[in-house]
Amino acid sequence: MSSSSMRTTLKGYVEYRGREGQWSFLLHRITGLGVLLFLTIHILDTATVYFLPSLYTEVMDLYRSTIFGLGEVALVFCLFFHGVNGIRIAYLDLWKPTSWTPESERRSAVIALVVTLVLFVPSAVIMLRNLLIHNYGLFGG
Amino acid sequence: MAAEKISSPATPIPSTRPTRVATPRNFETTAWVFMRYSAILLIPLAFGHMILQDVIVGVHNIDIDYVKMRWDLLAWRIYDAALLAFAFAHGMNGFRQVLMDYIRSERAFRIVSWVLLIGWLVITVIGAAAIVGGVSQ
Repeated sequence: MSSSSMRTTLKGYVEYRGREGQWSFLLHRITGLGVLLFLTIHILDTATVYFLPSLYTEVMDLYRSTIFGLGEVALVFCLFFHGVNGIRIAYLDLWKPTSWTPESERRSAVIALVVTLVLFVPSAVIMLRNLLIHNYGLFGG
Repeated sequence: MAAEKISSPATPIPSTRPTRVATPRNFETTAWVFMRYSAILLIPLAFGHMILQDVIVGVHNIDIDYVKMRWDLLAWRIYDAALLAFAFAHGMNGFRQVLMDYIRSERAFRIVSWVLLIGWLVITVIGAAAIVGGVSQ
């Protein structure tokens, strides 16, 4: 698409006041693309154990760095949100399409976000704690 | 318009209540259904993998010996093969569906689809070769 129509599209995403349904659509799209980007890299980095085992150690050293550790926390949020919201979409589309009404959709979008946070927050705490232990020697590390 | 070009069975946003529409039996309908059923399958597969590796075990405890130990059990290789097959197909087709919204030219979209299909196939084969071949010493 041309740059001007891309600008129109992005402008529309920001200015359209679709509330919960729109925000959940955008977040679903962004988190999905984020997970796919990591997944593509992850398939290839894991494949080094067979094709080039010496490289695997270097890759893991990179993943253990603080910046990648923070990226990993973001990835966990992306996958949890995309999965929970994806189940909402699959359930409504396949078994309860009559619930695709603005009111019902707003409610289910908020529920999906709450469930995501219930899964994400404890996971993030554990991962950040591991990061502080291993990279900064905190908590007796 | 994109809707006429591809006749995607995307869920219409109704003003009051949803109405039933006839869906064409074509590739796009199959892909649409695949995204939903694979999503359900990926909840245990992808959530399980991520919670185990990123949260419980942690990146600092994963090295090549860990991979070897894990893949010594055939069940984990089957699990990882299923994850590779469904997650990457779901992701690449999802990417294709996202691009469908932004690429107006039918010809350009067909070219992009083929590039994605080939990329998906090549990377899937590389991943599958590693799962079958295991850790090289």
